[in-house]
Amino acid sequence: MEGRYLQQFKKGSLEMILLCLIGRGETYGYEIISALNRQAGVLGYAKEGTVYPLLYRLQRAGLIGCRLAPAPANGGARKYYSLTAQGRQVLGELIGFWADYQNCVNGFIEAYRETEDLG
Amino acid sequence: MKDRYLKAVSRALAAPRDVRQEILRDLAEIFAAAAEHGESARQVAERLGPPARFADSAAESFGIDNAARRKRRGLLFALLFLAIAVCTLGIWAAARLSSPVDGVIGQADAMTGIQLAGGADPLFLLPVVGGFALLFAAWFLFRALRKRR
Repeated sequence: MEGRYLQQFKKGSLEMILLCLIGRGETYGYEIISALNRQAGVLGYAKEGTVYPLLYRLQRAGLIGCRLAPAPANGGARKYYSLTAQGRQVLGELIGFWADYQNCVNGFIEAYRETEDLG
Repeated sequence: MKDRYLKAVSRALAAPRDVRQEILRDLAEIFAAAAEHGESARQVAERLGPPARFADSAAESFGIDNAARRKRRGLLFALLFLAIAVCTLGIWAAARLSSPVDGVIGQADAMTGIQLAGGADPLFLLPVVGGFALLFAAWFLFRALRKRR
């Protein structure tokens, strides 16, 4: 079931997911997109048009940095992204918030489910 | 295909040069990486979506309202061509209206029988240039004002 509701929902945590991916180790665009697409069943098909603007935003916010290095296979250059110190700190805060957020939302769902069972 | 897409994005980017260069460089990398993994440029272009839309969302993350800038640029071009049209058509109209026989030595009472041999009237160019300028102005105005989804 795909719809605009789900799309907006997923967009919210995509930045955090990107920070997690980049936080595991220096990585580059295609690798990031491939990693996201391994979860395409849930996240939907990751597109450069969605991910790259987010990467630009994260760079502008100083949460990730990048360096240009020669790409091994095609002779061009490749951007390698890594988490900055500030990025690591923000990611920690986001993960902490995510836990609280989950509990909060689950609370609402539980309350809703209870009324469903009764009615 | 790839060059066509890159050129289309470049044209649609009304952003400072360094931003434009970075976005285009990344775009080239996207195509190169995809090719490395056996994807065709056409597949990548389809996945990226319309070049103008990609340009807008990429520029937006640099804090640039690309669509607004592009619109402003189009309006400026329309204004420029309108000015050219007004000037050329104005000169042409003024030339047509002024009497051609003023200042003729001797103040002849009738038209002379001497004809100019050959040669096009250079004044003819003015309305042509003016007409084209008007067309360009209208084209840029139409492009700048139409709604883009």
